[in-house]
This record gives sequence, structure tokens and C-alpha cells, in this order.
Amino acid sequence: MKKLAMKGKDVKEAVNAASKVLGKGIDEIEYRVINEGKSGVLGVFGGEDAEIEAWGKTSPGEEAKNILQEILDKLGLMAIAEKKRDENGEIELNIKGEDLGQIIGKDGATLKALQTVMVAIIGNIYKEKIRVYVDAGGYKERHEKALERLALDAAKDVEESGKEKVLPPMTAADRRIIHICLKDSDKITTYSQGEGADRRLVIAPK
Amino acid sequence: MKDLIEFIVRSLVEKPEAVIVTETEGEQATVIEVKVADEDAGKVIGREGRIANALRILAKAAGAKDRKRVTVEIITKEERRNG
Repeated sequence: MKKLAMKGKDVKEAVNAASKVLGKGIDEIEYRVINEGKSGVLGVFGGEDAEIEAWGKTSPGEEAKNILQEILDKLGLMAIAEKKRDENGEIELNIKGEDLGQIIGKDGATLKALQTVMVAIIGNIYKEKIRVYVDAGGYKERHEKALERLALDAAKDVEESGKEKVLPPMTAADRRIIHICLKDSDKITTYSQGEGADRRLVIAPK
Repeated sequence: MKDLIEFIVRSLVEKPEAVIVTETEGEQATVIEVKVADEDAGKVIGREGRIANALRILAKAAGAKDRKRVTVEIITKEERRNG
């Protein structure tokens, strides 16, 4: 976050000046008072300027992007964080760059860890439930498409055979994708069984 | 690697000033110790250890280039009580 130091006769004047320099309205900036200032004798002698530090308010999406970028930098990876979507309490971030394989990790483990940490950090800053999704070069999108294909194929089998089908163990996020993909079907239904790492989604005829 | 863990943990807690991260490098393994205020322990560990696990994975990713084993240990500070 870029901070701007600004002086003025009093705090109000310094804030006004900061808002002009930042090119944002008074209600679009945040500031911290460094020195309240003193008016001095006759408003002239021995007075001290008020001093503030001001910055533009950032949206959760913007803040999330900046934090992700900082994490990528500290990971020592050549990568750029970008904000794809920021609406209705949902933030979608994408990572572009050279070291995508390393960012994704085995079976997407590193990418998932990044997302877990981002959700926790944004939740801690804004004290509300904000969904944060982190993707790298469209990896998750491709992975989701593959899961949806698997879901539709399996659902077709179940419809035709009338027998339920147990899918391989999957993470909660993956099960959720399949569950959502099939939830509008009037011929089949889905539920989960098993515990922990062995929890599986079952597709059953209705 | 220490920088990375320190930055993430400080962003996760209510008392960032109480966060102390130390990195001890051995021949084959690097141990990162994370100390936080007692009341922040849950935030750094997470439900079912989810956050602590994510920290371990990211520390490993950061250390991947020198192929060393990395462990992250989360230690809660003992609160000193007066009287």
C-alpha cells in the first residue's frame, strides 16, 4: 500500500491536501495522524504543522492481490498475482508467471495451501467470511472441467444402470464441485461417505 | 523462508508484535519455529491443523530449490503470570 506523508495547518487541511494529491475523495482515503499540530501564538509564531500519513482505501480484492503478490515474492518465485473478480464477497485471484509448476505443486497442494492461507488472512483482516479463490494459469479451471466431465459421465452410468456409483476419494472442494454440478438432476442424487482422506462421493439414482 | 512464514503468520494473528519466527538450518533439514501469543495459537493452527499444514507446504515450496527437508513447528508462548 503506497503511503503519502502530508503536512497542513491542521489535520483537516492535511487530509484535504492528501485527498487531492492521491486523486481520491475524502471518503476514499484513510489516514493516520503523526502530529496533531499546534496553532502557536497569534496563529503564526511557534506553531507546528499537523502531519498525517494517508493512503487510498483498498477493496478486499485489491488487498488480497497485494498480499498474494508479497507471498509469491517471498517464496522466491517469478510470478504475478492478478485479480480476476471481486464481487458479492467473492474474490478470484490468478497467478501468472514462469514457475507455475512449482506454484501448483504436486496434485495442486501448494496452490491449495496458498488459497487456505489467503482465506485465513483476508478473514482476519475484514472479520467477515469472504470466499477467496486462488488459481494459477487456469490450473484449477482445467481441473474443475475435468471433474465435471467425470461427474457427468458417472451420472450417465448411474442413470442407465440404476445402480449407485462410488467415486474415488477426493478433497472436500472437489466433492463440492461435483455435487454442485449434479445438484439439478432429477434422476440422480449425491451424498458423501467415509471419513477423512477416504471420504468419497456417491452418485445414486433418485 | 523465515521471511515468508513471518509475513503470513503476522497477517493471521491479532498480536503481530508477539510473533517470533526462528530458522535453524541443519545439514539435511531446516526447522522453523513459530511463536505466537496464546490467544492466537488457534488462528495459526486452524481447524484440524489446516493452516499449520498450509504453512508447512509453503515453507517446503520456498525451500524446494535446495532440496532440504523443512519442518514448521508452532509453539505457543507460555504466559507469564504476575502474582
